[in-house]
Amino acid sequence: MNALQCLQSQSTDIFTEYVRDWKEKGGKVLGYACVATPVEVIEAAGILPYRIKAFGHPDTELGDAYLARFNCRFCRACLQLGLDGTYDFLDGIIETNGCDHLRGMFENWQHVKGYEFFHYLKVPHFVREDSLDYFEEELSLMRQAISKYFGVDITDEALLKAIKTYDEIQGKLKKLYALREQARPAVTGAEVMQIICTGSSLRGEDFGALLTGILEEKANASVPPYRARLMLLGSATDEIDLVREMEAQGALIATDALCFGSRSFWARAGGKGDPVRLLAERYLSHLFCPRMFTEYQERWDYILETARRANVDGAVIVYNKFCDLHGVEAVSQRMDLEKNGIPVLVLEKDYGSQADTGRIKTRVQAFLERIGG
Amino acid sequence: MTAMAAHELKEYEGLINRLSQVVKLSDAFPDQMSDEGLEGILHFLPSNLAGSMRAFLAPRIRDVSIEILKTYGAWLDSAFRAGEEGKKVFLIPFNFPPEVIHCFEGAWPVTSEVLSTLGVASLEGQGERYWDYAMGLGLPDSACSANMIEVGSALTAVDFKPDVIISDCLGSCDINSKTHEFLARYMDIPLLFLEKTVDNSERGINQYYLYFKTLVEEVEEFLGEKLDEERMREVIGNANRASELYWELWDLHKYSPCPVPNIFSLFLYGIRYTMWGTEDAVKAIEAMVDKCSERLKKGEYPAEMEVARAIWSYTSYYFDMAGFFNWMEEHGITHLGDGLDLFFPQVIDTTSRETMIRGLAEIARNMPMTRQMGASSMSVQWLDDIIWATRELDADCVIYCGHHSCKQTWSGASVMRSELMKRTKIPTLILQGDSWIGRMTPMSALQETIEEFVNNVVKQRRTTVRAVG
Repeated sequence: MNALQCLQSQSTDIFTEYVRDWKEKGGKVLGYACVATPVEVIEAAGILPYRIKAFGHPDTELGDAYLARFNCRFCRACLQLGLDGTYDFLDGIIETNGCDHLRGMFENWQHVKGYEFFHYLKVPHFVREDSLDYFEEELSLMRQAISKYFGVDITDEALLKAIKTYDEIQGKLKKLYALREQARPAVTGAEVMQIICTGSSLRGEDFGALLTGILEEKANASVPPYRARLMLLGSATDEIDLVREMEAQGALIATDALCFGSRSFWARAGGKGDPVRLLAERYLSHLFCPRMFTEYQERWDYILETARRANVDGAVIVYNKFCDLHGVEAVSQRMDLEKNGIPVLVLEKDYGSQADTGRIKTRVQAFLERIGG
Repeated sequence: MTAMAAHELKEYEGLINRLSQVVKLSDAFPDQMSDEGLEGILHFLPSNLAGSMRAFLAPRIRDVSIEILKTYGAWLDSAFRAGEEGKKVFLIPFNFPPEVIHCFEGAWPVTSEVLSTLGVASLEGQGERYWDYAMGLGLPDSACSANMIEVGSALTAVDFKPDVIISDCLGSCDINSKTHEFLARYMDIPLLFLEKTVDNSERGINQYYLYFKTLVEEVEEFLGEKLDEERMREVIGNANRASELYWELWDLHKYSPCPVPNIFSLFLYGIRYTMWGTEDAVKAIEAMVDKCSERLKKGEYPAEMEVARAIWSYTSYYFDMAGFFNWMEEHGITHLGDGLDLFFPQVIDTTSRETMIRGLAEIARNMPMTRQMGASSMSVQWLDDIIWATRELDADCVIYCGHHSCKQTWSGASVMRSELMKRTKIPTLILQGDSWIGRMTPMSALQETIEEFVNNVVKQRRTTVRAVG
């Protein structure tokens, strides 16, 4: 089995063989959900940082009993897996105020499960000297809390080593994106999403090693013929099947601006000095997430640069029903993409719902015809 | 002819422009109006406005309502005159204390949710045409109608245009903060903001003060006006007096049957979100307190007996005032207030500029939604406040309106209901509907559910019935 097949074989499992093995060896696992969480701190503690996902899980009855039908179904699906025991392997959770739905998900999860280790990392909604200072303190508190509860000393050296590990991962992921975005792409959108999703459940050094293998395997590969190159942007989506379905219609998702995609790593590098301050600056300044206030221009610049780099024929903005942040942001994005000559399909959808599949296929097909793909 | 043309409404007119004409009606009301006189007026009004007027001008509250309506009229009129008077108009959300803006000589606040509510209450077709316009742009249909109705009107570009927007919804409401950001960009006007640190620790509170002070400096810079200590003292003096009156009114709610008319909940926060810090606000709340004291003395209550005392845990419904506020009290269901009444006003120390700014920050931190949804834990703070209010006011049920856009409260509603029952044995009714748009759930359906809940759950549990007299 090659590196990519190894990833693919476990890519939609929650409690993967890798995690099972880690736990059996006495390793600890901390769950988090938002890309504003500096995983380097968890990594430096010798703990496995595990990004909470639902992989399009269709059942939400337990989640619905606590959250409501007016909450994002991604959060309800994750809560479902939290409450039905699927996530019982977690040794604790880091909450973030990524969005209102996510906060609700964490509060209900904790209300029912009562984790001994449940730390709330409060992330400001804007970047300014005072908010950076506050976030730096927040990271110090998170570091202290993890150290105290798990009985580990998170040294500056360990933090710097973890930062270096993730810098290397970022470099490799950028190479992967170059293979994806080039004129004759070597990797599909679904494959990249699989890699990023799976990588978010691995220790940094292991993910880095796997990426090295994947880059070698894909160096001279090519994807099947396609009708049009698209960019996918929008809210948190780990629905690999959705991307695969779009690509089955003839699209190639040649790049993305997703938080289970390029937004999770793209601009986080550089800088030096105190590791906690460095992490605060890197994370808060480069979220490219609509949760950040008055930063539309930065987000837009990032999207346009990504679209141009991948030379896309069109863009698909995808977001889950009831997502406030992306629901509003999509209006500006659509207007601005179209002003720049990039046709847009806005797909508001119900997360993980099989009922939406046919509708989405029809809309993607129609969009491909519209843009002449 | 020229003067007439200046007031003529365009075929497709914005909400504020239309409202400004409607509220002028209240100037024509005599201080004492007979039932026959009222019926005569209602006969000529469009149906939506007539319905609201029937609620506002019910005989038991008519004199106070006229006073309140005149206060709203003066508030809106001042916004229209602001330009001529060299003032800048600030569009603010309900959870930002307007007294901060009143502290500036050169500024006037207009509050988007109050405008939406007045529009829904008084305009033919309510706020739906503005909502539909916003939806037409592609804004999500799960947005908050309280904000989006007014914002939809602003986006049409045929309405009164504010000079600047303040958003303090960061940390407490995603949809409103994103809507403010979108509106400012779309209208190309400045946007100032204040984040609520979701952190109730001393450190979090201090950080909030820091953000608040920065906002004040930004307002000063925008206006080119430094806060004047004497003007602040005067405005805050009025706010302090209003706060004292708020607690008097709060205490009056404790009597059973409750002498506070249901609709006073709305009147109170309508004033709070617009005119707090002005003499007009003090007069309006004094009139409410006097009316309730008088009703208490006379033992007046609109039904034979008070059968239920309900706290509405977040918002109420505003698309049918008579069908909601008046219908409930005529059926013996007292509305003890809702989440928007829970702004915990405090008397601010007026010793110095610093104490006043700190006091205003503390007030801002405790505004509804900011306080609960912007807390370290949304559900815990919200629950604590509702438990406190139910105990204070001897409530025997809680009703959650289920305004569909309120994702934060929806995500805490389950914890709220189960914990409230565990800790206080008080049942909660969870409804579903849009508080500002009637086409989501009609009032008749809501009334039926409320009635079933009161008859089958609340009444069965009550040990005493509060007879009138």
